[in-house]
Amino acid sequence: MAVDELQAIIQRCQILEEADFKGEDFNLFQVAGQKCLEDGYAAQLLEVIQNEKNKVIIKNMGWNLISPLVRCIFLYKQEDDKRELCLRILDQLAQLCNPKELFLGLLEQIEQTSGEQVCQTVMLLLQPLQTVLLKLQNKKAYSVGLSLAMIMSQLAPLPVPYTKQQIQEDKLGLCQCCNAVVDFAKLFVNEVVKNMEKSSEYNDMELKEELIKFCMKSLKYPLLTAQLEQLEGIEEHPFRHFAAEIIAILWNIRELIPLVFLHHKGKSPQWENQEFADLERKDCADSLACLSYLVFVQHFGIECFPVVFSPSYLLLCNMTHIEVLLKRTEESMLSKGLDLSESCLLRMEDNSLLHHYLELRHFINVPQDLVKIMTICPMEHLRKKSLNILQLFIDKFDTEGKYTLFRCLLKTSNHAGVEGYIIKNIKDQIHLSLTKEHDNIWFTGHHLISLLDLVLSLPEGAETDLLQNSDRIMASLNLLRYLVIKDCESDNQQTGVWTTLAKIEQNFLKPLRVGLNMSKAHYEAEIKNKKENRKEAQSSNTVCSVTVSGEKIPAMTPGMQLQVLHSALFTFDLIESVLARVEELIEVKIKAVVDENS
Amino acid sequence: MTTDEATKSEGEVQAAALTERGEDITPAQDRGVLKIIKRPGSEDESPMIGDKVYVHYKGKLANGKKFDSSRDRNEPFVFSLGKGQVIKAWDIGVATMKKGEICYLLCKPEYAYGSAGSAPKIPSNATLFFEASNAGELLLDFKGEDLFEDGGIIRRIKRKGEGYSNPNEGATVEIHLEGFCDGRRFDCKDVKFIVGEGEDHDIPIGIDKALEKMQRGEHCVVYLSPRYGFGEAGKPKYGIQANAELVYEVTLKSFEKAKESWEMDTKEKLEQAAVVKEKGTMYFKEGKYLQAVIQYGKIVSWLEMEYGLSEKESKASDSFLLAAFLNLAMCYLKLREYAKAVECCDKALGLDQDNEKGLYRRGEARLLMNEFELAKCDFQKVLEVNPQNKAAKSQISVCQKKTKEHNDRDRRIYANMFTKFAERDAKEAASKTGLEKAAEKVACEKGLKTPSAEDEEAEGHV
Repeated sequence: MAVDELQAIIQRCQILEEADFKGEDFNLFQVAGQKCLEDGYAAQLLEVIQNEKNKVIIKNMGWNLISPLVRCIFLYKQEDDKRELCLRILDQLAQLCNPKELFLGLLEQIEQTSGEQVCQTVMLLLQPLQTVLLKLQNKKAYSVGLSLAMIMSQLAPLPVPYTKQQIQEDKLGLCQCCNAVVDFAKLFVNEVVKNMEKSSEYNDMELKEELIKFCMKSLKYPLLTAQLEQLEGIEEHPFRHFAAEIIAILWNIRELIPLVFLHHKGKSPQWENQEFADLERKDCADSLACLSYLVFVQHFGIECFPVVFSPSYLLLCNMTHIEVLLKRTEESMLSKGLDLSESCLLRMEDNSLLHHYLELRHFINVPQDLVKIMTICPMEHLRKKSLNILQLFIDKFDTEGKYTLFRCLLKTSNHAGVEGYIIKNIKDQIHLSLTKEHDNIWFTGHHLISLLDLVLSLPEGAETDLLQNSDRIMASLNLLRYLVIKDCESDNQQTGVWTTLAKIEQNFLKPLRVGLNMSKAHYEAEIKNKKENRKEAQSSNTVCSVTVSGEKIPAMTPGMQLQVLHSALFTFDLIESVLARVEELIEVKIKAVVDENS
Repeated sequence: MTTDEATKSEGEVQAAALTERGEDITPAQDRGVLKIIKRPGSEDESPMIGDKVYVHYKGKLANGKKFDSSRDRNEPFVFSLGKGQVIKAWDIGVATMKKGEICYLLCKPEYAYGSAGSAPKIPSNATLFFEASNAGELLLDFKGEDLFEDGGIIRRIKRKGEGYSNPNEGATVEIHLEGFCDGRRFDCKDVKFIVGEGEDHDIPIGIDKALEKMQRGEHCVVYLSPRYGFGEAGKPKYGIQANAELVYEVTLKSFEKAKESWEMDTKEKLEQAAVVKEKGTMYFKEGKYLQAVIQYGKIVSWLEMEYGLSEKESKASDSFLLAAFLNLAMCYLKLREYAKAVECCDKALGLDQDNEKGLYRRGEARLLMNEFELAKCDFQKVLEVNPQNKAAKSQISVCQKKTKEHNDRDRRIYANMFTKFAERDAKEAASKTGLEKAAEKVACEKGLKTPSAEDEEAEGHV
């Protein structure tokens, strides 16, 4: 029945001239063809299509069958003969149809799919799309670009497999699909390369730009989100393979090195196409960051890079990218940012990074970003790594750089733990400059004094929350104790701590003593209260509830509350004992001086 | 195999020769970089610091293994000399080369990649061997340093300065300068001023910008394009015409840096913000937009990321920021940097979403960027905020006119490409996918008719 209808419309059109085909003919052809497919007459349809007599009809109308054909192919099982027939029909249509219309028909098909079928559809239609694109005479570059852009934008909403299991499973077929797309693009890359060799440069600028656009999009999605470390047990990691292919494309069209190096100067390549200039401004920061990660951390394509750049210059080039990545919150991007920082910093010798780099925005921002990750990132391994990188960063700077960095971090971190950590670093630097022969003006004398002003103080005087700030206070006291002991030994008092003792007493020790007394009294009273309350009634009216990452933490029992209060008291005792030791040392020293003079 | 062995032994021979006869070219005379000239240069000119130099080279490790060659990339390696972009051995070595010279360099690890090495090719503590030919003769010349990569300010350093620190924006500098135009000296003075405010001493903005890249004691020649010089206005005081190219010789005698943002506390920032705002407005009124941008920019850099403000401070800060963004937007409009203008308006609107000026200026910028629809939206919002704004009304009609012109042009361009498809589409009203949008951006004929009707109406009002 369906076949008869098709035959009828075919026969009617066989006698018509190409120009006389009417709208209704197209409609009838499509309906009849679709019905043939639905009723399982694929073999007959194939016959009609292959019939030499119908050449003109198929050329003009065939593209209408793409949509029903794709639908049918997905209905049949892999091994079904009918599916095989449908695939042959698709192949025939690609050969026979008018390329312009078929091209749009195929794109339309890709545009309309969504969700789980995206990858399947793309993989199914890549081959015919390629055939058609090669046949297109005009606007080929534009059409290649349109195809790649359409495919990438369809893929972009799909989740990127991240764990090893997800990658192996490749549920939606994304891994497979990406590599199919890059193979598809390679054909056009070869064309560009061939033409470049002929050095007729102007011809292919357009196609080249389209390919760069594709690479930039691929770097942003899926590569920026993907896990790109080598995985045990997966021989050919699909995203690593994809990444290598993208890098190879950029290298082959000679854009890899310019993209990696020219960019940090803020100079964008001159695109002929205004659209790209816009796109670039907005999107390329992410893509370029991913590109640098691939080159410098994963070493893709690095074999062709110049090996004469200085390590500090490489770091400088990468700082923009590092900052872009560290500003994100996703694990995949943060870890890429941390890895990229690590790789750049490990190339440097310790103490070799000149302090004037800190005048560049990125160099002062990145340590602050690291601090943010250290203190608020929910993923522990990233927090730890971030701390390691910060230490690496500190180590690489020259002494003036370290000095400036410490000042900056003390002023900006707003986190007692970080401040304590910085203060410990300051102590290490003072120790180095006291023990080493070569003179170091930054951690002795008046520079040090001005740094100590920042360290040996309580942010809010006696009212400072000592518990909250205990890390910082302990580190400060330890530093002071170190100075008092160490600087006793030498007569020349390199650190200058004694000259500023009055100020330290005023800004730090005295308010600390007052604060300790107040806090202890407060907590002791609180404990007494709690104990009495417990005797009175167990009816615990919770004052407030605490939620941590969406989960409500059960109200504290009075017993737990007591425990907390006791541990606070313990902290105060600890602070007090170190404070007492410091005061004792100071007293002894002052007495010694007085005795000497008398 | 045999060639490998051959190169290896060749490499060893060269390395041995260098160790034996090479000239020590390090300033410290520690034999860290040894050089032998294989072929002397064709001319006697060496590149200056900051010059863009072109070099072809081949690099080998001590075991003869090649790790890099510019020939493999088919293009000479390009870098700025003496800026620390390359390993120390190269900054030292290339500076001694003449145009067209070919030489061998042997570099100790301290002058190359040191104990850290350079993954993946250079191991720790590697001595490197280079054969370098200065490709200057192939590419005409060493070029002066293009400070902002826009050809606007070119510098050649006559005497290198000391240390590494540069004056920043707001730094106080003491300089000696001589200005030339067409070979005539029009200015010669010793002067002390604040970077970014050279205009107060009849010094063009290009010098302020160049100073930020100079070091103490540096003496250089700076070539300024009109944009960075006295621009369209010229400088009658010095007899300088509109759009004149200028040449300055500048010596930076000394400077004191301005405080970095993180070194200032909130109170200080707010006090200073009032000062620079006034200064910026003064420059703006005089049409010195580049200078005004610097002043307003300071407010942004001080206050944009400031946290932990009291309520009163935060109110003051927001009002400074709003004014700064709005004024910056205006400056960028005047400077024809529309994308930046939009960015500033976005930030201003982030602080005050119904800000009339912010909306209007963003509309203007978008209109000039050919984003007609977006521009129209902005002007319409202006009218929502203030229905009396006549300028916005007339801008809306401009948008509509432009949209129409633009669409017509688009249609002509794409029409040829997909004629058939478009025709059939018109016939088969059934087809309704969004693909046409991508394919021929023009299918929005309906959308066109209504605005053109409004268009006439709006014009009627005017």
